[in-house]
Amino acid sequence: MPFVLLVLCFAAWGAAANLTDILVGVFRSIFDMSNFQSSLVQFAYYGAYFALAIPAALINRRFGYKAGVLTGLGLAAAGGVLFIPASQLLVYEFFLLALFVLAAGLSILETSANPFVIAMGPESSATQRLNLAQAFNPVGANIGVLLGAVLILPALTSEASKVIMSPQELRASQEQDLALVLPPYLGIAAVLVLIWLLIAFRRMSVPVEQAAVAMPTGGAARRLWGNRHYRYGVIAQFFNVAAQTCVWTFTIIYAQDVVGVSPENSGWYLQASLILFLVSRFVMVYLLGILRPALLLLVMAAFGVACCLVAVLSLNLLGLLAVVAISASLSLMFPTIYGVALHGLGDDAKFGAAGLVMAILGGALLPMVQGGVMDALGSTALGYVVPGACLAVVAAYALFILRTDRSLGGRDLASAV
Amino acid sequence: MADRRHRRPTRAIGLVGVLVLVVVAGCSGGDDGDPITVGLITKQEDNPFWVTMREIAEDVAGERDAELISATGESDVDVEAQVEALREMTASGVDGILIAPNDSSAVVPAIEAAREEGIVVIAVDTPTEPESAVDALYATDNRLAGELVGRYAQARAERDGIDPRVALLDLAPGIRSGELRREGFLAGFGLEEGDPRIVGEVYTEGDRAKGEEGMRQLLEEHPDISIVYTVNEPAALGAVEALQAGGRDMSDVVLVSVDGGCEAIKSAVRPGDIDATAQQYPQNMAREGVRAIADAARGGETPTGFLNTGVSLITGDAVDGVESRDVAFGVRNCWGD
Repeated sequence: MPFVLLVLCFAAWGAAANLTDILVGVFRSIFDMSNFQSSLVQFAYYGAYFALAIPAALINRRFGYKAGVLTGLGLAAAGGVLFIPASQLLVYEFFLLALFVLAAGLSILETSANPFVIAMGPESSATQRLNLAQAFNPVGANIGVLLGAVLILPALTSEASKVIMSPQELRASQEQDLALVLPPYLGIAAVLVLIWLLIAFRRMSVPVEQAAVAMPTGGAARRLWGNRHYRYGVIAQFFNVAAQTCVWTFTIIYAQDVVGVSPENSGWYLQASLILFLVSRFVMVYLLGILRPALLLLVMAAFGVACCLVAVLSLNLLGLLAVVAISASLSLMFPTIYGVALHGLGDDAKFGAAGLVMAILGGALLPMVQGGVMDALGSTALGYVVPGACLAVVAAYALFILRTDRSLGGRDLASAV
Repeated sequence: MADRRHRRPTRAIGLVGVLVLVVVAGCSGGDDGDPITVGLITKQEDNPFWVTMREIAEDVAGERDAELISATGESDVDVEAQVEALREMTASGVDGILIAPNDSSAVVPAIEAAREEGIVVIAVDTPTEPESAVDALYATDNRLAGELVGRYAQARAERDGIDPRVALLDLAPGIRSGELRREGFLAGFGLEEGDPRIVGEVYTEGDRAKGEEGMRQLLEEHPDISIVYTVNEPAALGAVEALQAGGRDMSDVVLVSVDGGCEAIKSAVRPGDIDATAQQYPQNMAREGVRAIADAARGGETPTGFLNTGVSLITGDAVDGVESRDVAFGVRNCWGD
């Protein structure tokens, strides 16, 4: 039973993360905001993930994983509940606060839940448990998008009808639309509270402290920073996460702004992106057994750049399909960069991993850049130069690995990936 | 959507047009238990404007537990099909009718007959003559639409240092919507009738080929034309073709129009060939019309007067002092494909 509950946690943060991709366009419509303003949703969400990464590790070290899981669950549930006053006040910033709290809780939860899963059963089946639990993260991600596509997007007040509304009618339509945002988050909060209660009042034998969360020493940090493969790897991971967040944040907006897809149908293109991402992961695992990881990374990054260019230049369904296809290129990047950058680091690898995970900051910052570019140039399509540039950085990293150290680009990395 | 029927032209109607019956959500919804039925008569369905209007009317009727019966003519001048549809809808006892008259006067006797039976009639898009022949008019404020593009063209000319040499591509004599747009443009630009800055004027009937031909003639007479007003987007697209064929650099010409259809927004406003267009919303005409009739049938107030169904200036090159929406907004809210 506790394991089943933790599996639900993995699904919950997947759902919450990808529901925010829907929210960017939803808030833009409800509050009649610019793309830059609406992208602050991602800044709040991924910014919280970044900001809470170290505090989460400290909570786990000081109070143990169970406390970490409960803190994360409680904070995330509180974030979900904060959507209630936010939707009554009709203040965008209040929603950002709710999202920040939700994501802060999920950040702690994610940091705690992985080792918690490992510690909650026999060591011999730990890897199996972790893989099974993590498999539910993309399932949750798809459910998150589905919730938005089915419950929110089709029911939003049309922009055309707002053109003739009085200020009172506009406010009423805002209330009505924001009420649509509420149920998915309250549902997530309810699930989290239920899990919190079941875990809090259940005796579980898990370690209070874990050596793996020890903080890096100055020597390790210096060694890591002096290693170009690692340093550039952190940069590549930053831009990979940035590209992924940018692409998924603005897929629905591209469908609506460039192609004219209706709100009720636009969510399905994001859904298709996530499904393609999932399927491609399995394909990439197979290809990594044949090709050198750095070479495959280079090819897929170049493919991603090409898709971005098509999205910029082809302002029609082809461009939209190119936006969806970018997800195929993204599917292998996080684990591949992770494996390549940490290769051969020895004991420094566990500290180095934290740096790579904190590259999630790219997901907080670059969507704002893309939104700003779209606003400044007056073109949603041109905004895709931003993920295109991000993927070019990833391609450059793969090229660097291939040129500087053949062993790092070799097949022996397939197992690390 | 309980039932959907498409009736082929009957012998009588087949002579004058096509009547299509669409029944949506035929469940009981009125206070007395009788189903509410709304009739929609559009001008024709070759133009996506009317297709969008019908589709939205179907959706809203479904939301309001009403049946929608729709009919359409074969062209913008097919009055007989509309009159026949009015008679059929009146005989079938619909609760209300939305009609976009193909002829503002010719449909009035049939409308009066419907109203005598207690049927609410709302004109959409185009007024009747007299306007009092219907309970209400739900339409674009055509004068405002013209005024918006006029103000934009004037502001662009001022900002870019363009010497205004204005060409007017109008609709046709005596058609009120076209006259109102023209009046609005002149007022928005700050032009009086006979102003020497107006160098030429042609009637296009809102047709692309006639728009192209008219623009070509005007360019031959006045190659220095710098401001082009067009009554609708088909005429504007024709004018663009003539200007490009004449070797004019489109960045030296400010061309404005009225409509907001997807074809023009994507293919001409987005690349800047049409500098600005006033977007109108058939969605709102249908939505508000069906809602008003359903509400009245359920004991609410009978709709009266004029409802402006909205107009927005769409441009990819905004100018200070003129409120506008970007092309992305235009794409999201355009009608057609």
